[in-house]
Amino acid sequence: MKKLVLCMAVLLVAGSLLYATGAAEQTPKTTPRPAVVKLQVWYAMSGASGEMFVKQAKEFDDARADIELELTYSGSYADTATKVSAALLSGNAPDVAVMAAGQLYSGERGDFSMEQLIEDPEFNKNDIFEGMWEYAKYEGRIASVPYGISTQVLYYNKKIIDKAGIDLSNPPKTWHEFLAIAKQAQQRGNATNSSDFWGFDTSDGVWLIKSMLYQNGNKVVDKQGENIVPVFQDAKGIEVATFWKRLVDEGVMPSAQHNNAEKKFLAGNLAFIAASSNRISRWTTSDTVELGAIPMPSFTQRSLALGGNGIVILTQNEHNRQAGWELIKHLTKTENQTAFALGTGYLPIRKSALDSQIVKDSLATNPNYKVAFDQLATTWAYMHFGEMGSMDANFWYALDEIEKNVLTPAEAMDKAAKALLKEME
Amino acid sequence: MRHRKLTGYNWTVFIILAVGSIVMAFPFIWMILSSFKTTADVYAYPPRWIPSSWDWHNYSEVFRMIPFFRYYFNSIYTSVAQTLLEITLSVTAAFALSKLRFPGRNFLINLIRSTMFVPMIVTLIPLYLLVSRAGWIDTYRGIILPQIFSAFTIFLLMSFFVTVPNDLLDSAKLDGCGYYRILTKVIIPNSMTAIGTAVMFSFLGHWKSYTWPLIITNKTNYRTLPIGLKYLVQESSSEYQVMMAASVMAILPVLIVFMFSEKQLVRSVTLTGLKS
Repeated sequence: MKKLVLCMAVLLVAGSLLYATGAAEQTPKTTPRPAVVKLQVWYAMSGASGEMFVKQAKEFDDARADIELELTYSGSYADTATKVSAALLSGNAPDVAVMAAGQLYSGERGDFSMEQLIEDPEFNKNDIFEGMWEYAKYEGRIASVPYGISTQVLYYNKKIIDKAGIDLSNPPKTWHEFLAIAKQAQQRGNATNSSDFWGFDTSDGVWLIKSMLYQNGNKVVDKQGENIVPVFQDAKGIEVATFWKRLVDEGVMPSAQHNNAEKKFLAGNLAFIAASSNRISRWTTSDTVELGAIPMPSFTQRSLALGGNGIVILTQNEHNRQAGWELIKHLTKTENQTAFALGTGYLPIRKSALDSQIVKDSLATNPNYKVAFDQLATTWAYMHFGEMGSMDANFWYALDEIEKNVLTPAEAMDKAAKALLKEME
Repeated sequence: MRHRKLTGYNWTVFIILAVGSIVMAFPFIWMILSSFKTTADVYAYPPRWIPSSWDWHNYSEVFRMIPFFRYYFNSIYTSVAQTLLEITLSVTAAFALSKLRFPGRNFLINLIRSTMFVPMIVTLIPLYLLVSRAGWIDTYRGIILPQIFSAFTIFLLMSFFVTVPNDLLDSAKLDGCGYYRILTKVIIPNSMTAIGTAVMFSFLGHWKSYTWPLIITNKTNYRTLPIGLKYLVQESSSEYQVMMAASVMAILPVLIVFMFSEKQLVRSVTLTGLKS
């Protein structure tokens, strides 16, 4: 539901962004550099993530006498989308923002200067996983830098799996193999004889279906000429939607109850759950579930859609842009970004992180991290575009209608595609 | 003092009311208990009612993570100012619209009514642009003034003001009262129950207001408590026990306002059920 709220917020502000395109200045200002560049930074991270980010940003602030940071917590991802949209329209936008889908804000204004900035040899762009760069693109061009990134991981409750007599040392490779195992877990693993016991569910169906689509050779959206068009309604997409329906029809996954999936899992009423990788740390220390994790199954190719936030530079002032870039370099240094990621539940964005001591320590204390780290090489992001919030909302409705048997998989996917096309027009 | 004997009927009523009270009080009790829990206690299943250890750590954590007293002061300052201004504006508007006859009155009523059907998110960005042009970003004015008009409060008060007999107003006029004195000496004293209710609704609405103060402020000095509460939890992994500790402290002013306006609220509910 959080995701849907974010989608709706992004949808609402998309119109404003079009206006902002005209309102924002496109030519960088060339003025003498002040002795101290004041850099406004908004960040959409709270709790432990917010604290960790502020700590690292302040380290940069202390180390640089020529740059002064003004850090502002900008609320949730959806709140930040609204706040940034309003600020862009009125010319009060921050210099830098750490937010979800930040590339929409620079990309829609035709600002792809990040492509030049990342060529900085000190930054080493090739050290960042390829899939992460896809996540930082707007309509195929890099417009932000990935930062707090996560993927979904397939977790399981060890007690249930043991009771069902399932051996996961050789985990299922395909979703069809997994369906058989989840069914087995449901039939034999219900230790408490609960009437609300299930084999599998996900806390974020929209996120998972996008991974599944790509795993089945469907790119979700594609570029035709100058236009981006939905392709998730093609035969490959319908195959995935039909499998989704099978999960419900065969009684393995409850219908339209994704909001309760995590509660069910922690209550011991769910054998498998596909949930964000940032749950590893919290659930491992939980005394309610003995946690295990296996690689996410696939259809024809291994792949996982990314989620999370990135860093975007919004200012057109050349000195502030440069200061913003210096901050990004500091935050995304291997040691800083890896410490941030592991301290907050996100995943490292750099390949070199996997050789770092902090990652080795994490693997030693928590083997479940290995599953998430191994998946990094197969991460993927669909092409980002202005109406992607609207697309996610349409996916949500499509899955709901499939699960409730209101529409056939083909009808639901077709309806979602038509709604998206209408929105784009 | 004479004690009435409890009959079977009374016992039934008593039990129903007791169960109802427990249900209503449950979230508050849960909030207070959770404010002393550890992370494991909060996520325990089956739910752990009593904390495994009574620890004040969550309260100290609130003060470490956010400038709680600054946010507290800002919330009290802005909520009280907004409530006072909103009630003043709404009382005068409701009086004019319910008791005076002037050209365009019905149009004005419908115009105000129509604002109730526009979601806040739709007006958020235009309002931000106006406030930004006025130079009110990061000011108390920017938080307070755009939020003092409430169609709901105007209609709530109008519905009570129309019940004040016009004869009373005519008598006041005969005694030489102008509109101002009619409002202050006749309408307001006869509508204290409604105004008390409006004060409570208004204060509650402003106290928990989150989106507007978040959008309009960037500096800690002007930020309010709901923004601080939101900062205590994160999208991925939430330390609800810390938020509960902050909520226990944040709820105090609301309880005080409720204690003062409870009598008026109950009377207003009772009066709405009476036929003239």
